[in-house]
Amino acid sequence: MFRGEQAEMSGSEILSTLLGSEIRGDLLVLFHKNPGLIDTVDGVARRIGRTTVTVISELRELLELGVLRQKRIGNSEIVFLDRAKDRDLLQSVANHLKTVRIGGEK
Amino acid sequence: MRIRESSPTNPHGDFGSAPRSTDPNRRFAAEKAFSSVLVSTVREAVGNALGHNVLEILTAKGLLDDANNSKEFDRKLQSIFGNGAAVLERIVVKDLNRKLGIPYNSEARLDYEKSLETAREVCFVESRLK
Repeated sequence: MFRGEQAEMSGSEILSTLLGSEIRGDLLVLFHKNPGLIDTVDGVARRIGRTTVTVISELRELLELGVLRQKRIGNSEIVFLDRAKDRDLLQSVANHLKTVRIGGEK
Repeated sequence: MRIRESSPTNPHGDFGSAPRSTDPNRRFAAEKAFSSVLVSTVREAVGNALGHNVLEILTAKGLLDDANNSKEFDRKLQSIFGNGAAVLERIVVKDLNRKLGIPYNSEARLDYEKSLETAREVCFVESRLK
């Protein structure tokens, strides 16, 4: 269902993708608070109090970015955090934010 | 002030009509307690969403310098995150409401300033009930 692919993106683009929706924000918080979490899409949706239908497209964005990965185990497709990729992506975001002036002051 | 770890219900009813405390000392203490809860919630929200490196960079840049001023905080978030600011504000309000036992409706449009005012009033009411 999902493919974990990511073209080279800037820190700003990564940030926009990560915070692209409230559900994506909830997914980030869920996986960052539980970095060892492995669950099905249904299970992940339940954990953040959403339906599977509303979560699928948001999960797809994070899978394409590479912060999450998907794997088939038996009859189930499970989702989990790619910790190394997550670290790299957040470092790109951090590097981008170093150059940003809060409030627009220069 | 009591901070609840988790409560799905609202035991206080209409927070918007909560009376303001007349005791300045008590109000000051409640304001300070609320400020502390809010700043820690904002730190947790940013840290959990974007990691601790990002949190430390934003802290060094002064994001949390005036976290109690919701307008100023909102302006700073907008300048950094654009549309993503609303996502972070929702994470903050959701977590703050959970701590204070205020129901959160993810379907409703978020008014960050009003949400913080409601949370502040709950802190004041709780300080008066102590």
